Amino acid sequence: MKPPSEDHDLIRWIDGEMNDAERATFEARLKSDPMLAKEAEELRALSAGIQAHLPAEMKIPHADFFNSQIQVRIAQMDLDESRQKQAGNTSLADLFLSWIRQPWFATAGAVALAVLGFVWMRPHTQDTSHSLILSSYTPGLGVEASTYHDNEADATVLMLDGLEEVPSDRKISGISVHRSETEPEVASTTLFDATGSPLLVISRDDAGHPLFLTNTPRG
Amino acid sequence: MPSSAATDPGEVSDIDLVKRSQAGDTRAFDTLVTKYRGRIYAMTYHLIQNETEAWDLAQEAFIKAWRALPNFKQDAAFYTWLYRIAHNVTYDWLRKKKIQGDGEFDDERTEHRVAAGAEATPKGDAAPDTAMRNAELGQRIQEAISRLTPEHRQVIILREVEGLAYEEIAALVPCSLGTVMSRLFYARKKLQEQLKDVYETTL
Repeated sequence: MKPPSEDHDLIRWIDGEMNDAERATFEARLKSDPMLAKEAEELRALSAGIQAHLPAEMKIPHADFFNSQIQVRIAQMDLDESRQKQAGNTSLADLFLSWIRQPWFATAGAVALAVLGFVWMRPHTQDTSHSLILSSYTPGLGVEASTYHDNEADATVLMLDGLEEVPSDRKISGISVHRSETEPEVASTTLFDATGSPLLVISRDDAGHPLFLTNTPRG
Repeated sequence: MPSSAATDPGEVSDIDLVKRSQAGDTRAFDTLVTKYRGRIYAMTYHLIQNETEAWDLAQEAFIKAWRALPNFKQDAAFYTWLYRIAHNVTYDWLRKKKIQGDGEFDDERTEHRVAAGAEATPKGDAAPDTAMRNAELGQRIQEAISRLTPEHRQVIILREVEGLAYEEIAALVPCSLGTVMSRLFYARKKLQEQLKDVYETTL
């Protein structure tokens, strides 16, 4: 059996990991040792064969679904985090209520109220209400969808870039979306009007393609 | 270490996409996923040799990358960092599978399978069509690699597919340089044994 250093020299030569001096010495050995030369040649051919038949990049099956599932899972993680924060706030509220029963609370409360009153006088600049968009998909390759929450309008805005211009003689009527509900378990979003009736349900089918269910009046 | 893929002049750079992703822009992250999913999937597939599991593991790697993005300091290329995550996810999966007692990586079974494979493909059985012969050879190489132990398969993929230097493999695995060389040597010897009808030469 050969010592490990000899094996290491062999693969370092195959992989081009030798410096010039080491390579020259090893190649001189190969010339004087036909068995070693044969082994080196076979291993080098094997290495070339592996490199030729194992691609560094492959086409991933169901590529669009792969991406959309990642987006859904990211959205679910965000939702879980916000729920955990809410749960944490609930625990803090319970703790706060237990403090009320303490005898020193009245004095401390008066001081705290004075401070809080000052803080509350300042205008609120942040609105924590928001809609959660799990993912967006546009069948047209030239169209890109994006969303953002407009604090002033208190609405989630859906932007579609790349749509064809609407002819000027076309009459457009809209619907008023009052609120939305997201159910992450089934990855669906329902839009409601001012009366609480559902207008549109957005979801996905088993293949990850978008599904739109509308509340169309029957004629 | 693998670096990012070549970019078109009009293409948004990884640095920009990473910065936007770190700010919570999921569309920017989606672009990174699209850019690198083929390479990450190839790596997981070569290590796992199972399309469904490789698909899931590639996805898991991207999810972990998203969660770890706030800690990414950009002192390495994004793909190098992503590749490490994907490698760790896949190798953890392989280790768990081995611990669970799956005999797939049992060396004794490998010896038996080698003999069976050699009998099934006699030397000199040339296929008439070169493309078909190439496809058959590719299939045989894939099968031979799947019979290696996870440790041996790992170094072969890192070296032959990803083209990593020994030092980079040692840092990624992690192990000593000597271990990398020993594993590479024995992995190749096992592959050579399984594919000897293809790569054996006469003196």
